Amino acid sequence: MLLPEADLKAVLQAALQQGGDFAEIFLERRRTTSISCEENKIERVTSGLDQGAGIRVIAGESTAYGYSNDLSRESLIETAILVGKAVQSQPGPREINFTRPRSRVEFTIKKRPDRVPVEEKVELVRRVNDAARAVDRRITQVSVGYGDIIQEVTIANSDGILVDDERVRCRLVVNAVATDGKHIQTGYESAGGHQGWELFENVNPEEMARLAARRAVMMLEARPAPAGKMPVVMAGEAGGTMIHEACGHGLEADLVQKQLSVYAGKKGQKVAADIVTVIDDATIPGKYGSYSFDDEGTPGQKTVLIENGVLKEYMYDYLTARKEGRRSTGNGRRESYQDRPIPRMTNTYIAPGKDDAAAILRDTKYGLLVKRMGGGQVNTTNGDFVFDVAEGYLIQDGQIGPAVRGATLTGNGPEVLRIIDRVAGDLGFGLGICGKDGQGVPVGDAQPTIRIPELVVGGILDEGAKE
Amino acid sequence: MDYQEMEKKYLDLAGQVVEKAAKRGALAEAYITAGEELSIEVRDQQVEVLTTARDQGLGLRVICDHRVGFAFTTDFSPAALDACIEQALANARQATADEHNCLPARYPGYPSLDLWDPEITATPLEKKIELAKEIERQARAYDPRVKITESCSYNDSRYLVALANSRGITAAYHAANCGASTFVVAVENGESQTGFGLAYGLKFKNIDPARVGREGASKAVRMLGAKRVNTQRAAVVFDPYVATNFLGVIAPALTADAVQKGKSLFRGRVGQQVAAPVINLIDDGRRPDGIASSPFDGEGVPTGHTVLIEKGVLQCFLHNTYTAARDGVSSTGNGARGSFKTTPEVGTTNFYIEAGSRSPEEIIKEIPRGLYVTEVMGMHTANPISGDFSVGATGIWIEKGELTTPVRGVAIAGNIIGLLEAIDAVANDLTFFGAIGAPTIRIASMTISG
Repeated sequence: MLLPEADLKAVLQAALQQGGDFAEIFLERRRTTSISCEENKIERVTSGLDQGAGIRVIAGESTAYGYSNDLSRESLIETAILVGKAVQSQPGPREINFTRPRSRVEFTIKKRPDRVPVEEKVELVRRVNDAARAVDRRITQVSVGYGDIIQEVTIANSDGILVDDERVRCRLVVNAVATDGKHIQTGYESAGGHQGWELFENVNPEEMARLAARRAVMMLEARPAPAGKMPVVMAGEAGGTMIHEACGHGLEADLVQKQLSVYAGKKGQKVAADIVTVIDDATIPGKYGSYSFDDEGTPGQKTVLIENGVLKEYMYDYLTARKEGRRSTGNGRRESYQDRPIPRMTNTYIAPGKDDAAAILRDTKYGLLVKRMGGGQVNTTNGDFVFDVAEGYLIQDGQIGPAVRGATLTGNGPEVLRIIDRVAGDLGFGLGICGKDGQGVPVGDAQPTIRIPELVVGGILDEGAKE
Repeated sequence: MDYQEMEKKYLDLAGQVVEKAAKRGALAEAYITAGEELSIEVRDQQVEVLTTARDQGLGLRVICDHRVGFAFTTDFSPAALDACIEQALANARQATADEHNCLPARYPGYPSLDLWDPEITATPLEKKIELAKEIERQARAYDPRVKITESCSYNDSRYLVALANSRGITAAYHAANCGASTFVVAVENGESQTGFGLAYGLKFKNIDPARVGREGASKAVRMLGAKRVNTQRAAVVFDPYVATNFLGVIAPALTADAVQKGKSLFRGRVGQQVAAPVINLIDDGRRPDGIASSPFDGEGVPTGHTVLIEKGVLQCFLHNTYTAARDGVSSTGNGARGSFKTTPEVGTTNFYIEAGSRSPEEIIKEIPRGLYVTEVMGMHTANPISGDFSVGATGIWIEKGELTTPVRGVAIAGNIIGLLEAIDAVANDLTFFGAIGAPTIRIASMTISG
């Protein structure tokens, strides 16, 4: 616990004495280790301590927020008074009785990263570097990054919620560069989770390195992606960037309430093909977007967003839920004590269907097979999205054809969800840092193999070709 | 906060930490930042969120036997600072020795820059709130179809940097900056389109709410009724914002760090033509009103004015102390720190394409058929190492030299090098978006996928 209960109460009361009908304090102590290796050298070993507190006061539709690194009682009360004054309203409730909500899940960390000697972490990074370099002579550069975070939080609010939580995450990324004198290409792999050092029992770090290196080498020989509309098959192992962009962001309640989402006002309506079910689930053990409690002290939960094509639910935080007089779905997240919480995804995925991945490919005469997705972006207002294809192949007569590089897929979220015509059962997870309003949070995403009958592939036309 | 007073206090603290670490046989450098921030978000003429903040942090870099160790802390208690020193020293033992790891020695002086506009601090909160509200009023007044405010905000920050190292550098400065931005939505016949306007700089008086509001509104309204176009090759014009998006991808390739690691497209090409002759590309750490301007970089090296590409010919790369030592040259003052939490890497400061002489209208007038691109999506997926990019684009179709109908949902793809070579006109409207600036530029021909 980062502050005694009596002090938490005093801070909240100091804020509400100035004004507001809700006050909250979020205290955080974040200890991090990171190691980077490039040019066969361990370049950086960094450790850090970042601690601070964010105080939020809400009065009606107005929010005031303040933060500081100073966790002394006096300084926190000073910040609380400043923040309370800023909402410019009548003093709020005085009586606060704390209760501790129970989490729906118990995540056990088998081996905390702060119990692993730094030598062992450095050794892992070296092994990964060596494995990637051993793949091919054309691998000219490898960078490996390891990071772990132990984030302790204490969250208390004037509704009486009091939560202590500890989030432990490890992550490993490897980036390989291949050069053949003419081209430079790269391959990337990452693994991470709400897990301790046991992450590296669940994934094989050397195998990850080899995958990244092989992809870089393969891309040297890939041809430029075609341009124009075509059917696209996305493999289960491709990751879930598409569903995250095409659908997930538009189901965040803040965007919906501001009429900034194409899904606004569509609860209960058909927004996708019958075979499409979309779920956001913070409770899956060990995934990168998993947690016991969100950053407002609400237990993480599993929320069915779209069921058999029908829009069922949006993702809410405290403030957006309060505006509709309902409960939060436990999606209130923030990057750190420096940020106010907003509705965010956790682990978002298209639920597995009954189709067979091999059959989907076999039945597709021509198109693009996406074996690995890269990053993406969406304009939630009109639903247009793009995402990058990190590994893609042409499909020729139902077979995997030559590799292509440099493809981006462009589409419209609602349109794509309606036309998805095949969904297989092979769910595979990806992970990333999702950015929104300048805040980055860890998320997971996934989908089984699916087919979209028509997407725009942004490639290159032959120099000679016109129209 | 009294920043003069705080500078002294934090320089003392940095000096003490350096001294302690140096006693343990290390070269040491302590970098402290501390500051305050204000952000006001307005919607429907109400203050939706008001944020005030104070923060501080110290990053300690040590070099022992040519090995670098780093640790940071936001807790300045003696125990936390001692722990930070121990961590940095322990981390150094794990790193690989490299003879080029070093710290810069003391400099005779630093440029004197105007980085502190007293008006930013002196302006009362109410007036700043009023400024944010005025942006929204201007956006709504521009056109009745502007119906939704996604965000409308004013923010400013005041901060100081204090740096000390065991080779005699003790230097500090304080600075302030401010900005305003809005994202608004225009609605017509069930269709919604967004537009944004923004202004950032070092001077409060340069933030013009009317310009920001009207810019956001006009960008949203002009996209209403946007349609796809067929896949084809045609001329493409990037507005300054889109051009800066592409510059952001090129920036890492111009650092000596990327070159030395074999990750730069420009490796081995100094003295060669890498872009069209109309391109001059500059990094200027001292630019007046530049949001990234400072007297010294993240290692205490004076900032500079570096011409990277002149008339399309690559001149040199950007350096910090390490990359310069490795190449036997001097640092260009580009030892950049994201924050006190990171070691100084090589990074750009105020980075821009120099303005040409003709107006944007003139260079559009010469195009029989093409796309004026006003927004790209997924720029962060471009590969700065290979230079390959493929991004979603929206804009306005050009027919016989005139802007005609809005276009969305298309993609443009290519390679950065090919793009730089294909630029055939640069306009005179250099505009900065944060620390990156560009004028309108024209590319003779590109694939547009629709």
